[in-house]
Amino acid sequence: MKEKRFSSHVIAGIGLLLAIVVMIGCKKSFLNVPQQAQVPVAQFWNNASDAQKAVSAAYANLRNYDNTAFPAIAVESIGSDDAEKGSSPNDASFMNQYDAFTIDPAEGQLLGFYRAQYANINFANQNLDHIPAISMDETLKARYLAESKFIRAYSYFRLVRAFGDVPLRLTLPKNSVTDFNIPRTPKAQVWAAIEQDLTDAAAVLPQSYPATDIGRATKGAALALHAKVALYQKKWTDVVTYTTQVMGLGYSLFPNFEKLFRVENENNSESIFELQNAIVPGNSGASNSQYSQVQGVRGSTGGGWGFNVPTQDLVNEFEPGDPRRNATIIFRGTTTAEGDVIPAVGDNPMYNYKSYVPFNMFVSGFPEGSQQNVRVLRYADVLLMNAEAANELGQTATALASLEQVRARARGGNAAILPKVTTTDQNTLRTAIYHERRVELAMEFDRYFDVIRQGRAAAVFGPKGWKPNKNEVWPVPQSEIDLSSGVLTQNPGY
Amino acid sequence: MTKIYLRHALLQTLSLPLICFFLFTQAALAYHHEPSGNHATADIRVTGRVTDSAGTGLPGISVRVRGNSNVGTQTDAGGAFALTVAENATLIFSSVGYETQEMAVNGRTEINITLQASNQILSQVVVVGYGTQRKLDVTGSVVQIKGDELAKQSSPNAISGLQGKVAGVNVINSGAPGSSPTVTIRGTGTVYGNTNVLYVVDGVWYNDVNFLNPADIENVSVLKDASSTAIYGIRASNGVIIITTRRGRRGRVTVNYNAYAGWQSVTHGVKLANATEYATIINELSASNGAAPLFANPGSFGAGTDWNKQILRDAFTMNHQLSVNGGTDKSDYNLSVGLLDQDGNVKTNNYKRYTLSLNNNYSPVKGLDFGIKVNGQYSKSEDIPTTTIFHQIYGAGPVVPVFNANGTYGDPNDYKLGGGNPYNPQATIDFYNQRTQIYSFTGNAYAQLTFLKHFKLRTSFGGEFVNGEIVGYVPVYRATLAQQTTVSTLTKTLNQARNWIAENTLTYDKTFGSHKVTVLLGQTAQRYQNYNVIMSAQNVPAGAQNSYFSLGNNFNITDNGTNGTSLNTFSSYFARVNYAFEDKYLLNASIRDDGASQFYGNNTYAYLPAVGAGWVISKEGFMAGQKTFDLLKLRGSWGKVANAGVPYNITIPATTTTPQLVAIFGSPSTTFIGTNVNTIVPPSISIERATGTDIGLEGAVLNNRVSFEIDAYNRETKNAVFPIPVLTSLGTTGTVIGNQADIRNRGLEVAVTWRSKDQQALRYTISGNLGYNENTVLSVLSGRNPIYAGGGGLANGALATRTIVGESIGSFYGYQVAGIFQSAAEVAASLQTTAKPGDFRYVDVNGDKVINGKDRVNLGNPNPKYNYGINTSFSYKSFDLQLDFQGVTGVSVYNANLAFRFGNENFTKDFYDNRWHGAGTSNTYPSANIGSTANSAPNSFYVSSGAYFRLRNAQLGYNIPNAFLSRWKIQRLRLYANAQNAINIFKYKGFTPEIGGTPTNAGIDNNVYPLFATYNFGLNVTF
Repeated sequence: MKEKRFSSHVIAGIGLLLAIVVMIGCKKSFLNVPQQAQVPVAQFWNNASDAQKAVSAAYANLRNYDNTAFPAIAVESIGSDDAEKGSSPNDASFMNQYDAFTIDPAEGQLLGFYRAQYANINFANQNLDHIPAISMDETLKARYLAESKFIRAYSYFRLVRAFGDVPLRLTLPKNSVTDFNIPRTPKAQVWAAIEQDLTDAAAVLPQSYPATDIGRATKGAALALHAKVALYQKKWTDVVTYTTQVMGLGYSLFPNFEKLFRVENENNSESIFELQNAIVPGNSGASNSQYSQVQGVRGSTGGGWGFNVPTQDLVNEFEPGDPRRNATIIFRGTTTAEGDVIPAVGDNPMYNYKSYVPFNMFVSGFPEGSQQNVRVLRYADVLLMNAEAANELGQTATALASLEQVRARARGGNAAILPKVTTTDQNTLRTAIYHERRVELAMEFDRYFDVIRQGRAAAVFGPKGWKPNKNEVWPVPQSEIDLSSGVLTQNPGY
Repeated sequence: MTKIYLRHALLQTLSLPLICFFLFTQAALAYHHEPSGNHATADIRVTGRVTDSAGTGLPGISVRVRGNSNVGTQTDAGGAFALTVAENATLIFSSVGYETQEMAVNGRTEINITLQASNQILSQVVVVGYGTQRKLDVTGSVVQIKGDELAKQSSPNAISGLQGKVAGVNVINSGAPGSSPTVTIRGTGTVYGNTNVLYVVDGVWYNDVNFLNPADIENVSVLKDASSTAIYGIRASNGVIIITTRRGRRGRVTVNYNAYAGWQSVTHGVKLANATEYATIINELSASNGAAPLFANPGSFGAGTDWNKQILRDAFTMNHQLSVNGGTDKSDYNLSVGLLDQDGNVKTNNYKRYTLSLNNNYSPVKGLDFGIKVNGQYSKSEDIPTTTIFHQIYGAGPVVPVFNANGTYGDPNDYKLGGGNPYNPQATIDFYNQRTQIYSFTGNAYAQLTFLKHFKLRTSFGGEFVNGEIVGYVPVYRATLAQQTTVSTLTKTLNQARNWIAENTLTYDKTFGSHKVTVLLGQTAQRYQNYNVIMSAQNVPAGAQNSYFSLGNNFNITDNGTNGTSLNTFSSYFARVNYAFEDKYLLNASIRDDGASQFYGNNTYAYLPAVGAGWVISKEGFMAGQKTFDLLKLRGSWGKVANAGVPYNITIPATTTTPQLVAIFGSPSTTFIGTNVNTIVPPSISIERATGTDIGLEGAVLNNRVSFEIDAYNRETKNAVFPIPVLTSLGTTGTVIGNQADIRNRGLEVAVTWRSKDQQALRYTISGNLGYNENTVLSVLSGRNPIYAGGGGLANGALATRTIVGESIGSFYGYQVAGIFQSAAEVAASLQTTAKPGDFRYVDVNGDKVINGKDRVNLGNPNPKYNYGINTSFSYKSFDLQLDFQGVTGVSVYNANLAFRFGNENFTKDFYDNRWHGAGTSNTYPSANIGSTANSAPNSFYVSSGAYFRLRNAQLGYNIPNAFLSRWKIQRLRLYANAQNAINIFKYKGFTPEIGGTPTNAGIDNNVYPLFATYNFGLNVTF
């Protein structure tokens, strides 16, 4: 009796166990699991929508912290005589190294800046390698490729003027042995690659976009950047050629210099290329520009950080009565045109007005002023490049005409200030153009490199510690040299 | 039965309806089974007591009837048993550690018996992978610790108590409530991904066992060598810890109540400069930066605010555990409920954990067993910003009051302290409104069939279901300039884990004469899936912890693809043979074939063999006459293990879509989703494998009173998988993962235990263990190129560790400090011409007359070379005392706090007292400008010894004499006082020398939870 019950249990038990054994884990497909929460690259680059997303990502990256905040300030602004570190003396004192030219190659902003440019370049290269194979509207495809070339050229331009020779990557690295760790490419080749990209881009990019696409790179942007690239290489004829082309595209100076930089006047008639920023409700990641915040007024409502502040030397540069002085610099103890009262007591006597966003536009949970577009290229810059190059070529009339356009706008109809420059002496005019460029474009991240390319750095920055045959370029980031195991070399003197 | 109902009534008063229901069913079951048995002769009720030679009652002794496996029980905590048997039956009394005895009933109703201790070492049974083995038969290195021993430490986490208990096992505890310790067995062999040991709880695999109440653990088995762990294949690389939870014992119902309450206090808080000192040194910092003094009159601030005292506290802890267990001859159960209520040392921090564990087994007919083991956990934590709060306390200016005279928060901005420390730490914790709740359900169900006498077929299905919810609410508030918002935000993070493991094993176990053979065949399938979703909305009305996103606006949702969401599967087969001849020659061999979904093609599977052999020398004829060794055994083993702890689909390039890549175009602005590729994947990746060998000598002398175990081991990890930083010019984010390095850990372990004689009044056990481990990188993929890491928490992200051939993983790396520049003249005459007086003077190691990256050297090793423990327990009459000492030495730590500065952060008192502030003031400590890039570069000043020695655990217990207890029907009542980390000896000056961290970032003190001590008073009651 007992035995019988036992055996029936045994049979039932074995049956149950076998059922479980067979059911679980024996199928081969059990180990093939789908990719989670990410689209594999193999399923991307398929259609026009993918191409659009890829190009969007490349633009979006341009506004991030490394591209527009501390690293950019350190590498592109503080070294100049227009700006100094700012903020509280002991706050981020490492930034002083860029002001005093005591830079340590391991200082983090160098790497941040370098990393940012190559991240932009990677996105552009991804687009340029993959989009051609996508079956889509050919016109749009060509435009996406041209936009990507513009972004790549802009990033290499920022690299080459900061570091000189840099590794030149124009395609994605394919082979980890031969393509990953490459040496620095001589800067002449980098300049040539930039020019090729801009030539290609200008041939394809439209002059303007419909309202929904404003902010993308235009033909004017490619030409204007090309002019600047030529300017750095002292290719005066090319500068005149490209600026003249831009001048035929219908841009005009915005009448009010102060309002030119306010949020409501973004993408105006003078704008050639701006990094598009906005406060996107519920999406602080898409609202991540800290360009305005890091330069904002310290210790006031918004809690700006107050870095990259104007110097007294810059104040002194303005001609008497020049309205641009008070539209470039926020002075303590004044009230801004937008009605913000700046307390008389604080860490810094002056702040950058061009990056300023009125306090009532701050939104909690977002960096203060993260909606402020970054003005990269504007028409006044083009006119001054035109004037500078024309003067070098002896085309004095052209130079004077372009210069006067800029001064006339600043003058704003007030005949008592900013007299028209009439000199025909090349040297005197050159000085006048240099002066004009400084006051017109002050705090717009060009001054430091302008002075170097004009060959005046030893004279102008020398008192701050700038040394010739060394400080023309910044050091290559130490960690990058470490990782390259010596394939990358350091700039002389560092 | 009345007794059961009596307990029933007792429990009802405790308002635990679940237990009541459970007991009721158990009682019903017991009643149902009572009639079974042999009715041919008259049944009588036999009661009695089982004692040891000293007369102490022995609990848990199995009492069976010869020839009738349906009847049996176990003795209770006092050694008593009761059983209804035939009057002519023969009882068999047996238990591990005692000689089995038989006793004929012969119609007696009371049988008292004394059991003789057996040769404990020879008969000890240990849990090994997929089974148990006599310790004597084990050919690898396995150490088993009783749950009672761990429970004697009053730790919320079961694993914390392993610290110092086992040679070669390094445990790093953190005082953060709800945290789990970091355990490393025999050195770091795995760098990346899952570097945790594998925990196997009742057959289910876990990375963390925080859900277990220490009191529910029967025993813990630590598998150390590769041959022992190889049966766990792809998760065996970092060692395996097998945990068996308590089962009910047959016989009467036993109710246990364990409780303790006490407090945790920070023992070595970092002493910071006071307000006057702070103002003084900040003025020095300003002067160094060429600025005017910030404070006109430092002396006017007095002592100022002591932020440590303001934010930290002695934290209250309370723990209760109630368990009921019992069983009949056909079933047993153990039900336990626990409550832990632990305050954190940071004010407002609290952690509550409710645990429920049920272990229920049935054996309805001979040969068939099945059961379930279930753990439920609910925890609720009132969170603090764990890492930032310590940095804020460290950096907060003591010149800032907690509150101003008008009741508002003291604002660092009012004192122009700048961006480095703009926060009032009190405001931080006051407005940090975040709660984490975790619901977890783990366990398994099994069925086991014994057939044809020697075969056992077992199938089990278990898993883990975890639901975590983090809800945070930031209200509209204004505390300081930097701590304010005009928009409220409600955030909720949902984490889910759904893991399962199915296993089938077939065991064949037979003894032919002198040959003993066990064969195991098995198959398992596992699936691990995690989800992570983050939601937020703004302007949800205040008091909204229970509110809904729909009450606000700007709703946003992210399902975190890169970190939180994953899916992995594993499919495995394994086999093992154990063979023993005359208990003298031992041979064990196993193989496991693992497939892991993270790998592809030829790399999908790993075949992991292991073999071990043992020779019990003391059983040889030539040893027969000798009296020295009661046991002498030599064993050796070799095995392969693997680690598949890498992300899913690692070699498949994926796209990146993040909010930061959303482009903005148009007028008005509209958003465009951005997707692109900014990661590099390795072209292929293979499973990381390690080969381990172990040679051990075990022995016992002096009548088994002294036993020892010595092991020498060598483990080489091949193709260790981890990410290394790549050139940023590739434009990708961070790192690339691949098979990067070969790593060797080799070492020596010694463990000695000395027991007193059983008979004497003062009984004691003293054991010591010492582990030595040497970690060496044998090769790296990049050839002679090192791997740099350790940038987290360092100013400017400078890389502080280097992994290079011939050195240990993640060795500290930086400049060698020669001294401090005393004057401008010294600077001018040096190689560091841009330095300032008070800066570090670095050694020009390569002599090229330039101080640069090439002058950096190895500064120390964060992998401890020696860890040791001395564990003692004493009992005298009603008293018992346990004293455990523990330490590590041969280890370095990096104090990253000192130079992690962005502005006017505070300094430590030690730094203030010793700083350079003018020629001749110091040649070791730099000036206040320690945060400058040159001074904060990783250098020898920041590295110091992390050696410590401590009184890990001290517990004094007192058993209330039985005379007082009997009228309360209490079997046992023990009161105790417990202290952990009461005495610590070390030289390090940071938060604690006990610092964890991932292998290439280990030992870096960056606002870790400070070293703590706990003091508890508790009681154990058994009814």
